Amino acid sequence: MRAQFRFRIRLLLGVLVFITLCVILRLYVIQIVHGQEYADKADRQFSSGGSGLFDRGSIYFTRKDGNLISAATLSTGFLVAINPQTLLDAEGAYRAISVVASSSISRDAFLAAAAKKGQVYIEVAHRLSGESGKRLASQAIPGVQVLKESWRYYPGDTLAASSIGIVSYGSGDTLVGQTGIETMYDGTLSRTGDALYKNFFAELFSNVGNLLVNTHDIREGDLLTTIEPEVQIRLQSDLAKVHSRYTSAETGGIIMDPATGAIIALATMPTYDPNNLQKIDPTLLGNPLVEHVYEFGSTVKPLSMAAGLDAGVITPNTTYTDTACITVDTKKICNWDQKGRGVVRMQEIILQSLNVGAAWIATQLGQEKFRTYFTKLFGDKTHIDLPNEGRALLSNLSKPQQIGYDTAAYGQGIAVTPIHMIRATAALANGGVMVTPHVVRAIRLNTGIERVLDWSTKTSVFSAAAVRDTATMMTTLVDEKLNAGQAKIPTMSVAGKTGTAQLTDGKGGYYTDRYFHSFVGFFPSYAPRFVILLYTNDPKGVQYASETLDATFLDLVHFLIDYYGVPPDRGITTSP
Amino acid sequence: MRSRFSITRFSIGLVVSLFVVYLGLIAVVMSYASVTIAFSQSIKSDESAVAQLEAAYLTEVERITSIDARALGYAAPVAKWYVPTRGGTALR
Repeated sequence: MRAQFRFRIRLLLGVLVFITLCVILRLYVIQIVHGQEYADKADRQFSSGGSGLFDRGSIYFTRKDGNLISAATLSTGFLVAINPQTLLDAEGAYRAISVVASSSISRDAFLAAAAKKGQVYIEVAHRLSGESGKRLASQAIPGVQVLKESWRYYPGDTLAASSIGIVSYGSGDTLVGQTGIETMYDGTLSRTGDALYKNFFAELFSNVGNLLVNTHDIREGDLLTTIEPEVQIRLQSDLAKVHSRYTSAETGGIIMDPATGAIIALATMPTYDPNNLQKIDPTLLGNPLVEHVYEFGSTVKPLSMAAGLDAGVITPNTTYTDTACITVDTKKICNWDQKGRGVVRMQEIILQSLNVGAAWIATQLGQEKFRTYFTKLFGDKTHIDLPNEGRALLSNLSKPQQIGYDTAAYGQGIAVTPIHMIRATAALANGGVMVTPHVVRAIRLNTGIERVLDWSTKTSVFSAAAVRDTATMMTTLVDEKLNAGQAKIPTMSVAGKTGTAQLTDGKGGYYTDRYFHSFVGFFPSYAPRFVILLYTNDPKGVQYASETLDATFLDLVHFLIDYYGVPPDRGITTSP
Repeated sequence: MRSRFSITRFSIGLVVSLFVVYLGLIAVVMSYASVTIAFSQSIKSDESAVAQLEAAYLTEVERITSIDARALGYAAPVAKWYVPTRGGTALR
């Protein structure tokens, strides 16, 4: 019995020794005999693994029919890297890479990289197409790795670039949003990238809570913006023409739904292509529409008018005596043409853009009331969902000198951002309430659920009657004054106001020959669907905004009426 | 009378069964992970292809927007009449 047991033990031992020898022999064959071959194979397999691909949520434009068009998404392709330790023929490798990669480094830089024998991984070309990457990989060049990569891609190139924003490494080693929506909603757009590589069963035992309610699914998603791509293209195209024609320092525009604050289009010139970060001028990366403040000039007059009407210190039939110039606190205020109009009604202040009339309204209001209205309009940030929003400069309204109030009434001496200005103008269009401007309407979570964002916060500032009277004055301006009455659309009431402000010289005064032009308007005048703000800063060879921005405003109005099929709101003639 | 139940055999059987189940779970997890990754990459590739089409669409809209009708020989109308539309075609 014992002998039989010993035999079995020895037999088992012999089998184990045999198996061990076989394993050792096999390991020798694999690691020593065919070691290099397998190392190269592993190298190439690693090249096409791509488990660490950059991932990020998408940002979408929303067409008028509800279809989504990518504003920012991911593009996939290949990058090429070399392993100098295994690269045998650097010249041949460079030739092969150059054939398929247009963005590879120069020959000298490539050879210098190949000479760094202490390194095992140097990237030499990026963003190869799928076909090019596969063609290069099929050549199996020793020391050349072809890896899958993905990168941020903006299909619209410059479209709404300053508002969509960019992603870059910044100060860390991960790609994060740096400007615009990309940074404002970085927490929603960023991906941890570990979801695919978790062990489901390990999670089941150790972290069952995360399986039931995934925290990523609650937070991560895609952004659905309010920006309409075709309107955005039209706005950018029109602004580019103005910017180029007048060699302005900067030109911008916003189109917004006055009832909700949803921004349909917004753009500034000059702009940049976020797909080509190397060529971006860093000074363009901000968003002047929310960050820069300007003295808007006469486009502020309708706000002063609405304040006066709302406070009850004037009515549309109130008259005043226009004397061309007045002196306030030793400072002289004059009409743009230095001419007096005599006794005129309030409407003429808007129609003829009378500075003296606007100052008269400010005086009628009194400092306290004027300050209250303008603080409601501009005192706080709009809380738009774009980063680095600027604050309005209203310090003149906290001083006792009347001159500060009088000049503020026609838009000089106070400075506000374009987004401030369009929100205030929207209050004239929507019955007197301040809405919250926004560019993102919803987040589409990873689960597919669409979470609509709440932008319903509104603040009442003017009465409906006051803004209706003001809208009537602005509509009369478009019908009778714009292009000498040629701009009137018989079937559509359009309200508008131009503004020409002198630029500050940085020494406490103003240039006499440099201007900031602006235009605000909305239509249909009494139930507006769109409010438009345009501006061009320091246009050359032209003095008045009516010369630079009228045509652009009217082009946008006609485009929007046609594109959205806005129904007529006043008389239709059926035949001549 | 000896019982036919043996704790040793039962334990061995259990261990073998658990081992087989363990191997099965590993196989399932690996397959699940590889399929998920493959699907994910497939979706990314499709999204990338869609983005190229969207870029082409936006470029085309931009081209149409920038067309100068006058350069193509069209002239501004001499007179305009505003009439009630009978259908939505003209208004898109």
